[in-house]
Amino acid sequence: MIKKTGLFIFSVMMVLAVKAQEIDLDKMLEEEQKKEQKNKVQFTEATFKTTRIIHGHSIENTAPGILDLKISHRFGQINGGLYEFFGLDNASMRWGFDYGLSPKLTIGFGRSTYQKQYDLFFKYKILRQSTGKVNMPVSLSLMSTAMVQTLKWTNPTAPNKFSSRLYYAYQLLLARKFSENTSLQLMPVMVHYNLVPKATDPNDIIALGIGGRQKISKRVSINFEYYYQLPEYKFDATTNSLSIGFDIETGGHVFQLHFTNSPGMTERIFVSETYGRWDKGDILFGFNVSRVFSFKKRKK
Amino acid sequence: MKRLSIIFAAVSLLSFKVQPKIFTTNTGMINFRSEAPLELINAESKELKGAVDADKRTFAFRIRIRSFEGFNSPLQKEHFNENYMESVKIPEALFSGKIIEDVDLTIPGVYTIRAKGILNIHGVPRERIIKSDVEVKNGMIKIKSNFTVLLSDHNIPIPRVVKEKLANEIKVELTADLVRK
Repeated sequence: MIKKTGLFIFSVMMVLAVKAQEIDLDKMLEEEQKKEQKNKVQFTEATFKTTRIIHGHSIENTAPGILDLKISHRFGQINGGLYEFFGLDNASMRWGFDYGLSPKLTIGFGRSTYQKQYDLFFKYKILRQSTGKVNMPVSLSLMSTAMVQTLKWTNPTAPNKFSSRLYYAYQLLLARKFSENTSLQLMPVMVHYNLVPKATDPNDIIALGIGGRQKISKRVSINFEYYYQLPEYKFDATTNSLSIGFDIETGGHVFQLHFTNSPGMTERIFVSETYGRWDKGDILFGFNVSRVFSFKKRKK
Repeated sequence: MKRLSIIFAAVSLLSFKVQPKIFTTNTGMINFRSEAPLELINAESKELKGAVDADKRTFAFRIRIRSFEGFNSPLQKEHFNENYMESVKIPEALFSGKIIEDVDLTIPGVYTIRAKGILNIHGVPRERIIKSDVEVKNGMIKIKSNFTVLLSDHNIPIPRVVKEKLANEIKVELTADLVRK
């Protein structure tokens, strides 16, 4: 009787002892990590490599305390032939500074040689794509810019108004990072003209832009950008801006090399004043260079 | 009835005995440093998770790569995650194994021990023996360790353009205070 009980107790003890040994420290930490991550919001990062897709803005903001120097060139048309050295003899350029005021707000300033135009913009992040505690499928930003061309009046005696030099553009940027390699963005835009070329022209140009990037290696991606102008809201004889290019990332620089039919780097030029036609070979080569400077105090 | 109470007593006695002595932390610190001819890079995380089983002298540590902060610019942090560590594919670095010396970490004192285990960085595991200073005091296990990690050991190549800005030999400092779970 006692022997049977003893044996039973012994086997129960052994079972319990064996069970108690099975604490896998690794598994335990892994479970805890998973639980913690579920309760945190994971924001999607680096939807695009930089703050421009090709001509237009991407939803990326400049990080707070960071100054981003942007130099952009658009050369002449390639079908200018050898005499024009395939467009390299003509260059239109813009230099500009983008600055991150806060994680959600970027401001910028620049000047283009095209019609001696100055531009000022701000870009505000409304929604951030995220997973985890909050599931947000897209990122959404608002971009607003003012441009002023400073050419001398062609007829100084005419009743010229300063407001004729001004252009405004308002744009929504809606983007989604579909995978590590693929991101897509939709950008409806409105460009307002105080002074239009012809009396029959609309004062507001409305277009829908679409752009994206496809990473082809760790540091290189292919980008494309297209702006479709609504037929009722565009100037005569203009064409839609279509651009395709490469982003190459090295250290503190992002190089963007592309082919496009638009000569300009601000919304007023590429959205509503593109006249080039891809099928006629009115293609220009251009590039953007981005150099980042940090103004953040380094924590020791 | 008597039989049942004996069984009950034996089981409760047993559960007391096999209570595992596990010490953990969720806020350990890891700091790494790259000292190259043209650039100094420093980053730190205070989210190191660790556990030590004082009975079996086994340990496990893991850290989320994205939790490292510091760097010389946000762009550098982005490159660290996207191009070098590929932290979307491999979100964590791990180290687990057993302490070589036959120390009793429940007894207060200062010990120098060697932790032998598998260090897994960027998805590449390497067997390492890492010397650490351990102080057991007030029911806490305080670990301090300095060691080196070679990027080449863990399949993290350094592109020629940044050869002078990124060292292959990374100096790592670990500090963790573990308490009884």
